Amino acid sequence: MSPLLAIAAVELRRFLRDRSNIFFVFIFPLMLILLLGSQFGAGSGQGKVAIAGPESGLASALAAELRSAGVAVTASGADAARADLSRGRTDVALFLDEADGQAYEAGRTAELGVVMASQSSAQAVLQQVRTAVQAVSLGRGQLAALAGAGVPEANARQALDRAAAQTAVPTVEIVDTNEVTRAFRGLGRFDLGAAQQVLLFVFLSSLTGAVTLIQGRRFGVVGRVMSAPVSSGQVVAGQALGRFAIAAVQGGFIMAGTALLFGVEWGNLWLSALVLVLFCAVSAAAAMIIGSVIDHDSAAAGVGVGGGLVLGGLGGCMVPPEFFPDTLAAISYATPHRWAYDALAAIQRRGGTLGDILPQLGVLAAMAAALLLLGAWLLRRSLNRAL
Amino acid sequence: MLAVHSLTKRFGELTAVDGVSFHIRAGETYGLLGPNGAGKTTIISMVAGLIPANDGTVHVAGRPMTPAGTEAKRTIGLVPQELAIYPDLTARENLLFFGRLQGITGKELTRRADEVLELIGLADRAGDLTKKYSGGMKRRLNIGIGLLHRPGLLILDEPTVGVDPQSRNAILESVERLSVEGMAVLYTTHYMEEAERLCDRIAIIDEGRIQAEGTRDELITLTGGVDRINLRGGGSMARAAEALRALPAVRRVDSDGTGLLLTVSDGPTALAGIVTGAGHAGMSVTSVEVVRPDLESVFLHLTGKALRD
Ligand SMILES: Nc1ncnc2c1ncn2[C@@H]1O[C@H](COP(=O)(O)OP(=O)(O)OP(=O)(O)O)[C@@H](O)[C@H]1O
Ligand SMILES: [Mg+2]
Repeated sequence: MSPLLAIAAVELRRFLRDRSNIFFVFIFPLMLILLLGSQFGAGSGQGKVAIAGPESGLASALAAELRSAGVAVTASGADAARADLSRGRTDVALFLDEADGQAYEAGRTAELGVVMASQSSAQAVLQQVRTAVQAVSLGRGQLAALAGAGVPEANARQALDRAAAQTAVPTVEIVDTNEVTRAFRGLGRFDLGAAQQVLLFVFLSSLTGAVTLIQGRRFGVVGRVMSAPVSSGQVVAGQALGRFAIAAVQGGFIMAGTALLFGVEWGNLWLSALVLVLFCAVSAAAAMIIGSVIDHDSAAAGVGVGGGLVLGGLGGCMVPPEFFPDTLAAISYATPHRWAYDALAAIQRRGGTLGDILPQLGVLAAMAAALLLLGAWLLRRSLNRAL
Repeated sequence: MLAVHSLTKRFGELTAVDGVSFHIRAGETYGLLGPNGAGKTTIISMVAGLIPANDGTVHVAGRPMTPAGTEAKRTIGLVPQELAIYPDLTARENLLFFGRLQGITGKELTRRADEVLELIGLADRAGDLTKKYSGGMKRRLNIGIGLLHRPGLLILDEPTVGVDPQSRNAILESVERLSVEGMAVLYTTHYMEEAERLCDRIAIIDEGRIQAEGTRDELITLTGGVDRINLRGGGSMARAAEALRALPAVRRVDSDGTGLLLTVSDGPTALAGIVTGAGHAGMSVTSVEVVRPDLESVFLHLTGKALRD
């Protein structure tokens, strides 16, 4: 093993040996992704409708129609439906009473109460409810027309079912005009959380991992290393590689872990991995800077956690940046997280190609190069300080 | 093996090392003896190529030593004054890591690590994290790492500070053995007993300068070569003192009531004549003690200060 690799390997080994690291680096991120996925999950993007009121032919016809359109339907009381609406647990609530059911059976006009929740996805679900109501009333109208023409009701129903099976009914696809909901189209339940957390944690633990650099100086091993036939360039390169390995091991673990455990779709794996590699390089370089400039473990840990959380938040790893107001969105592009987030979004949600994410890759590579140069210079100076 | 020529290091106003020159041959153990702040560690840092000198040169096995160069560094093994080991690695992992830095790999590396662990008596604790070691065990590992690659020149900076007498003895014994095997050793200490026991030649360092250099005996002649002889006993001590003063080797005789204190130019040689003379003069001698000057007195003589405060 060359001295360079030996230095990198020892840094990685020391990082992994720390038990608290193991929890925060490997277990905690997966737990968080699981938690986020189950919160926003229940098939995010799937509309939810609560139907309140007594059992009736109308209620079951609407429920069947909505379910066939991919909407989750729950039956509940009026109060429960209102509570669900206010908490955002359902998008649209339909209120039916006895009279509505009887009117439907009799072929008369029924007036349904519809209340929409405030979240942005509710608008699209309301559209689906309208379509379902239309479909149900159309079916009811046809049945009434046939009955009026003297066809017995049972025969009329059969004829209608047959007709529906034979003709290709034009399906109504709801085109979502809301930008935000459109941005998340194509994401599975855990996909967004996984992309956010992998960036947040890789950066965060790289920064806090910079402590091993500081300890190296305090343990006095720097002098011993420099008295060996090893150039300071090799030491710096070995440290950079070690930091990178620390970031990459975690990033790779989270990517593989979420894909296997939660079925997260990373899109084109090569491209996602490429984004991650560049992001790890940025993280490693930032860690070198922190580890060179700061001389106290606790100060470095504080700056690492604080900086990691703030940059992660700004870069869209907590609240998705699609929800950011314009100025904040503009600022977010100062963080590597935002560029990596955009690149992963393009790959995961829109099947983005290498060409599509070249701008993001370019910015990440430039950030990595600039920070690595600065980090190498600072690290070399810190070595002399330790002698 | 090592040639140091007018080495100088300044830290701002302070000249920590001032025109130091010396050389060490293969198989020779050379001591730098001096009090705290004398400049020992600073000299060693330059010899090991850790910090640049303001002036002067260092050559190891004929190759110039500089912080940037790596050639000359192949020949040295440094044991720093402060512990330089990873507490979160085991002893074996520490050895393997520093061995790899020396370019040793594979089976050879494992074999040497085992050898060193045996030598420093840590073979049965090799798999423990070193933060669980006692101070003495850490010190032994600190030394072991410097030996792993069998350097031509071993540099030990106060390796026994803070070590119990037993471990200390073990350390001194290993240094003696290595020296017999042909390793050149540069050893700094402020314990004169260690310098006397280990070193073929000693430089006495104070305020960044070599005040005197030579074998132990050579250094001691600098004090003027006077020994002290204490005679204890009874009988007519006044007459005995009178008679002894007449002997050519005796410079001075004092009496303290229970015996006589003599200052003599060459104690061991003059001893027989002194004891006989005292007996003839009527003193019954019950014990004799010859006190030869040590490096402590040399240091005192050269600098007017005690070696340790
Ligand atoms: N990096 C430095 N910056 C400024 N002054 C220094 C530096 N290193 C050493 N000195 C000063 O140089 C002088 C010699 O120090 P050095 O460490 O070489 O002494 P030493 O003989 O090794 O002492 P000790 O027995 O205590 O280890 C001291 O006055 C010390 O304060
Ligand atoms: Mg010292």
